[in-house]
Amino acid sequence: MKRWFAAIVLCLAAGSLLANGDQMPLTIEQVKAAHERELMARPGVVSVGIGRDDQGRPAIVVGLDKANAQTQAALPQVLEGYAVRTEIVGTVRAR
Amino acid sequence: MAHMNEVRSSLLGHSHKLLGRANVVAAGAGYKVTGGKRTQELSLVCSVARKLPLASLAAEDRVPKEIEGVPTDVIETGVIRALATRTERRRPAPGGVSIGHRDITAGTLGCLVKKNGQVMILSNNHVLANSNDAQTGDPILQPGPIDGGKLPADLIAELLQFVPINFGDPPPPSDCKFASGMIALLNAGCRVIGSRTRYSIHRLQATDNLVDAAIARPLNAADVSDDILEIGRIAGQGRGELGMPLQKSGRTTGFTQGEITQVAVTVDVSYGPGRTARFTDQLMAGAMSQGGDSGSAVLDGDRRLVGLLFAGSDNSTIINRIEHVFSALGLSL
Repeated sequence: MKRWFAAIVLCLAAGSLLANGDQMPLTIEQVKAAHERELMARPGVVSVGIGRDDQGRPAIVVGLDKANAQTQAALPQVLEGYAVRTEIVGTVRAR
Repeated sequence: MAHMNEVRSSLLGHSHKLLGRANVVAAGAGYKVTGGKRTQELSLVCSVARKLPLASLAAEDRVPKEIEGVPTDVIETGVIRALATRTERRRPAPGGVSIGHRDITAGTLGCLVKKNGQVMILSNNHVLANSNDAQTGDPILQPGPIDGGKLPADLIAELLQFVPINFGDPPPPSDCKFASGMIALLNAGCRVIGSRTRYSIHRLQATDNLVDAAIARPLNAADVSDDILEIGRIAGQGRGELGMPLQKSGRTTGFTQGEITQVAVTVDVSYGPGRTARFTDQLMAGAMSQGGDSGSAVLDGDRRLVGLLFAGSDNSTIINRIEHVFSALGLSL
């Protein structure tokens, strides 16, 4: 039983290595989807979306309810090649 | 020829008497129109509800040919009414006016859509279905209750269908020991072989929302209009994209324009104290709405319908994609 289990694990790990080998670059949508749950869980984060950075390039935009130096400092600046930018969005309410 | 100053002073002295005549609805200074053409001659312009033959008017109701040497002109403008505001009762009611379920304050009538060939009013769940707290058939008022809408006089439609909003905390990490073990092993394997891929697991929970939407069936088709105030008729359906110019017509801020600043937005939206719902695949625009604008139809620059406005902050507006709204409720234009 344990041996089977180990075999499955090894196959999956090898699979992911092979997939990495000739990998297509991830789209910003895929990168955002992979990280958004973790980003949304950070203190003060109200939104995660795809917008543009200062130079007009696609960027992952993390919305904060108010200025939050700690969260802002802790956020990655780049995720898998895509810029991450913060924006003070404020509390979002149903209107 | 009379100068503007003379016409003004003549107006000051006589406008009350002019307005006292039957049929006269306004008096002002303007160029006299003769035979359909504007002349260079300044005159006292009397607007009347309807032009009538002189013979049918009592002498005291006739506008004299001239007053203190200033010629008069009589034009037909019809009865002048104050423009009905968005928070007043309107029949037929166009898109962009106040509407609401009996138990809410007010939101915006978005636009007309079709379900199974029947005309429906489209707005938000939290406008037409009181944020899930409503029954099919509940009365919908135009204007909404906070704008003075009352039963039975202002009843315009009945709630037909809404997409329930899932409230609640985002799903917690999985607490399944077997899955955790599997993942630890997988990640260990990845580390061993140098792959930078890592796996993670979450309990499946249906907490994410795509739309805050509902439809109501008008009790009388003649009570609604496919016009949207200050925009006009919808030209078709579009798909929101980053940078796309937007326009909307809402109860509170009227006609406003903006631009899509973010797509694929996941956002936590407050529905009052302690009540939050997470929405995915939303469109974000800048500040182009306020409370009461919820339910507004959002169109692109070519008047194609792209979204349904439902939330916002001081500097953002959050919009459901119309394709999600249509597929969730089985709608078409």
